[in-house]
Amino acid sequence: MTGPTGARRTVAIVAFVLATVGLAACSPTLGSSSASAVVASPGSPTITARGLRFDRTELVVPAGRAFTLVFDNQDGAPHNVAIYDDQSAQASRFVGEIFGGPASRGYAIPALDAGTYFFRCDVHHDMDGSVVAQSG
Amino acid sequence: MADTRILRTTRPRSRASLRRSDVAIRLGIVGLTLATGYIHSTLGGPLFTLNAIGYAVAAVAMVIPLGIAIRFRWLVRLGLMGYAATAIVAWYLIGPRYDIAYVAKAIEVGLIGLLAVDFVRHDGNPIALLRRRFRS
Repeated sequence: MTGPTGARRTVAIVAFVLATVGLAACSPTLGSSSASAVVASPGSPTITARGLRFDRTELVVPAGRAFTLVFDNQDGAPHNVAIYDDQSAQASRFVGEIFGGPASRGYAIPALDAGTYFFRCDVHHDMDGSVVAQSG
Repeated sequence: MADTRILRTTRPRSRASLRRSDVAIRLGIVGLTLATGYIHSTLGGPLFTLNAIGYAVAAVAMVIPLGIAIRFRWLVRLGLMGYAATAIVAWYLIGPRYDIAYVAKAIEVGLIGLLAVDFVRHDGNPIALLRRRFRS
């Protein structure tokens, strides 16, 4: 059914696929993109992920103006912070870059109206909490 | 000579009678299975860890030279195809969109393709095989 040439071609194709996949999976650039250009100010709100948990379940942020959220991922596992209107996570206000740790990024969050929002890690949905945007 | 030919066509292909292309495809399947399993193992959390363990077990089941594993290799192939397809659908529905996830899903698509090729080469038409198995 398959001659020696066909067999050799199959071996070559499979080897190529494996090599490509292996290189892609081992690439250090995957999952850890270049450092964010956002510079955090000293008073920026901060959240840390460690042991597949966030260190807080409520984030208080200023309403009506953009701000920088410092996300410190202390896990080897990839995490992010994404802010949604509510727990259904259908309407997003901000979706942060997913990256593996230990590393930190400054997320440039657009202005939020005063109110309560929902945040979570998009990889591990059980890591979540609420964002309270307060005026003044 | 004629008897040997008859035996080869009526008995399932054993390890000794695997062609080079069969070995390449099988290695490809194991490589892709371990690659996606490895990616899932780096994500942390019980769900991803269980998923990784499932892939590791399937990779072993694809090559282990035990009589029962050889006899039910068709089931392992079908099961692994279903497992990978489920992982893709689950990711599409609730999974995060980022580079490593895309790599993992590409690997799983490739895995399903190789499994389908392996299945057809060893077991023939899957529907006909299932009909045969359920009838007996």
